[in-house]
Amino acid sequence: METVINDYISRELVQDPALLPLTDETSLLDSGILDSLSLLRLVVFLEGRFGITMGDADLLPQNFASVNTICTYLRARDPGKQQASHG
Amino acid sequence: MGDPASGLLRNVERAAFSAALARLPAALGYRIACWRADSLFLRQDSKRTEIARNLQLVLGNELSPAAAQQVTRDWFRLASCEAVDVKRLRHKTRPLRRLVEIRGREHLEAALAAGKGAILCTGHFGSHSSGFSVLHASGFPVTTIGRWHYKYTAGLSSAERRFWDLYLRPVRRHRQRPNIEPWPGRPQVAVLAAAALRANEVVTIAIDAPPLDSDRARAVQVPFLGHRAGLLPGAVTLAQVTGAPLLMGFVYRAADYRHQVLEISAPVPAQGETATAFERCAAEMSAAISRSPAHWEFWANTDDLAVLGLIPPQRDGSPDAPALQSDGRSLHNGSTDSISARG
Repeated sequence: METVINDYISRELVQDPALLPLTDETSLLDSGILDSLSLLRLVVFLEGRFGITMGDADLLPQNFASVNTICTYLRARDPGKQQASHG
Repeated sequence: MGDPASGLLRNVERAAFSAALARLPAALGYRIACWRADSLFLRQDSKRTEIARNLQLVLGNELSPAAAQQVTRDWFRLASCEAVDVKRLRHKTRPLRRLVEIRGREHLEAALAAGKGAILCTGHFGSHSSGFSVLHASGFPVTTIGRWHYKYTAGLSSAERRFWDLYLRPVRRHRQRPNIEPWPGRPQVAVLAAAALRANEVVTIAIDAPPLDSDRARAVQVPFLGHRAGLLPGAVTLAQVTGAPLLMGFVYRAADYRHQVLEISAPVPAQGETATAFERCAAEMSAAISRSPAHWEFWANTDDLAVLGLIPPQRDGSPDAPALQSDGRSLHNGSTDSISARG
């Protein structure tokens, strides 16, 4: 899961090549990788890729702080589905 | 601006006056609003001069000095009438609804039929907030992306914030959801807007807002009023990501000052390169302002015009606290795009 998300963010959302390669701990908000519209792109990607729907309550900055926190959040919200989707 | 207490008192008086006018027959109420505006036009020397100067700086040869004065007078009248509009939003907007014709609702209906919502781009133009309240009350679920100015204007007392909160309650009441307010540190704005679109709502965005400092790097330079202005293309990006159709909507006031038309366009193509697609929206906005310059709120906002790149940067100065009536337009949502507010 980390690899899929890291690849997507690196490929589609990182504007500044100096930020690559992206680590799973890199702060996506503080580094400026995620703004309002790129967060939307990421959410659309995650929903399509993992078959989930995110509501207002899921849109906490801490859930999108880094690739790792995104994965932690996804595993926590629907462990079985993420396992199946990934496995 | 004077001390805050007298400013608040003045706003309360003006709001009460507008509320009284809103209870009169429309022809009489709006006529008195215009008389009052004419009196303010004559008395508020510095504001009058500022607006006329900005008009000539931006529109240049398009306006003679006499025409600039005429537009300035009209600007005061429209601002005064807009304050009355807000007070006519009572009783499920009926008192205002019978004065506002919605043209192009078939475009909006066709857009919503696809089930992806619709993005209605506008500007700080005419009585847009009240116009969208009428649209909502007419059966279209409207959600607005925009900041309420009283929440972010520095130096406002709690009493002043309370005043504006109460004053704008009628506008807020006629929205599907609370405004989606773009702020630095609030990156979920576009996702919230996308959620409204998924629910097949109409999301309104003013595309003429000066970008916040944190967003300036994302502004694109587009032809605007004969200049190049730095505007945020977030509405187009939102349309591209969600697949929602993008329409333009402008509220024009008729020569009798009481009737208005909310004109909704056919969808504007949002495909292709973002900046190019956004240029189409900016061109529509620019054309609307050129056609009816007095309808544009920003003539009195010298700092905003400078941030947009339409006039040279001005002397240093902190924004004034908002006032009602002659500044009746500052009751609107402030900068209403900034959709890409950085987290």
